[in-house]
Amino acid sequence: MSNPKKPHITVMRSQLSRARGLGSGQAGVGHWWAERASAVALVPLSGWFVIQVFRLAGASQPEVAKWGARPLNTTMMLSLVILTFYHTQLGLQVIIDDYVHGKAHLPAGLLMKGIVFLLGLFGTVSVLKLALAGSSRGRIAAG
Amino acid sequence: MVEFRLPKNSTVGKGRIFTAAPGATNVKNFRIYRWSPDDDKNPVVDTYEIDLDKIGPMVLDALIHIKNDVDSTLTFRRSCREGICGSCAMNIAGENTLACLKPIRDIEGDIAIYPLPHMPVIKDLVPDLDGAYAQLRSIDPWLKSDTLPPPDSERRQSIEERAELDGMWECILCFCCSTSCPSYWWNGDRYLGPATLLAAYRWIADSRDEHAGDRLDALEDPLKLYACRTIMNCTQTCPKGLNPAKAIGRIKELQLERKA
Repeated sequence: MSNPKKPHITVMRSQLSRARGLGSGQAGVGHWWAERASAVALVPLSGWFVIQVFRLAGASQPEVAKWGARPLNTTMMLSLVILTFYHTQLGLQVIIDDYVHGKAHLPAGLLMKGIVFLLGLFGTVSVLKLALAGSSRGRIAAG
Repeated sequence: MVEFRLPKNSTVGKGRIFTAAPGATNVKNFRIYRWSPDDDKNPVVDTYEIDLDKIGPMVLDALIHIKNDVDSTLTFRRSCREGICGSCAMNIAGENTLACLKPIRDIEGDIAIYPLPHMPVIKDLVPDLDGAYAQLRSIDPWLKSDTLPPPDSERRQSIEERAELDGMWECILCFCCSTSCPSYWWNGDRYLGPATLLAAYRWIADSRDEHAGDRLDALEDPLKLYACRTIMNCTQTCPKGLNPAKAIGRIKELQLERKA
């Protein structure tokens, strides 16, 4: 039997081998740049959205529906929603990279991306519904 | 996962108190981390009451005084005592710095001294830097040039090209920066850390080096380079006043530049 005082050594790989590891993943630039570019794009989009919310304060439901049906507003809203959730998953991936190691890393990232994707899709569908529902309702009312 | 608590065998207990000689008037307490691999005990913090009138102005002077005159078992690295060898890097009053460059009078109250954070401890204030040295080795920190040097002279640089290296050649590899970086604490097995990345950029920026592309290839990795989150602890703590965060930022700029 082995001496309990002397722990069994499982890693005798050299320090240089550990430092080199599996080499460079040849990735990271795209993620890093996308994080910054989307953050910059979100500044004017978020400012626009805040202004619109103040302008619509106290508006009736039909007024808001009319606002949401305008192509320019739909375009801005979709840009805001898609970029927000795109930026969210980029940022959360960084947190997972930092704090989740080993076998849990990949499933944690997938789970996070799945949830953020569904939330983003929900927001996108909501904007589209606002954009398209007004006209269909108009037709029904006319018919 | 990230370790938010110390492992059981690393929790720090109370140690001994070495009282100052009677009659000492200018006494300051040095609370120093002690751990020995020779027994199975947890680390402790010993308190040394030191008469500042008897020693030099720097924290290293106090450590040398303790080793010579109070407790010869205290273990720490030191060599040049003037901030050029990097041996006496340690955590003093919560900040990574060189004991030889840190004036005692700059610290109010008791002075807590620990080894560089989040590295394996060999004994007392001596951290195991093998992993950090291997990471430095992994980026090939030497001139790589395929063009032969002129037979009758050295490889020449313009004044402007030489100026590119200012703020980088001064690094003494004390690893105060890397061991102050949370990214290095959490992912030190794959993230190279600010000291090594500063060294990497020092060679990328060197006009005589002909392998910048290979060097950038080797760094283009989600963790080796991009685990840097621009926390800036490295720049704040550097005892030589260098800016590793800026060097890392330049590497990221170059990675982007060569993609377009």
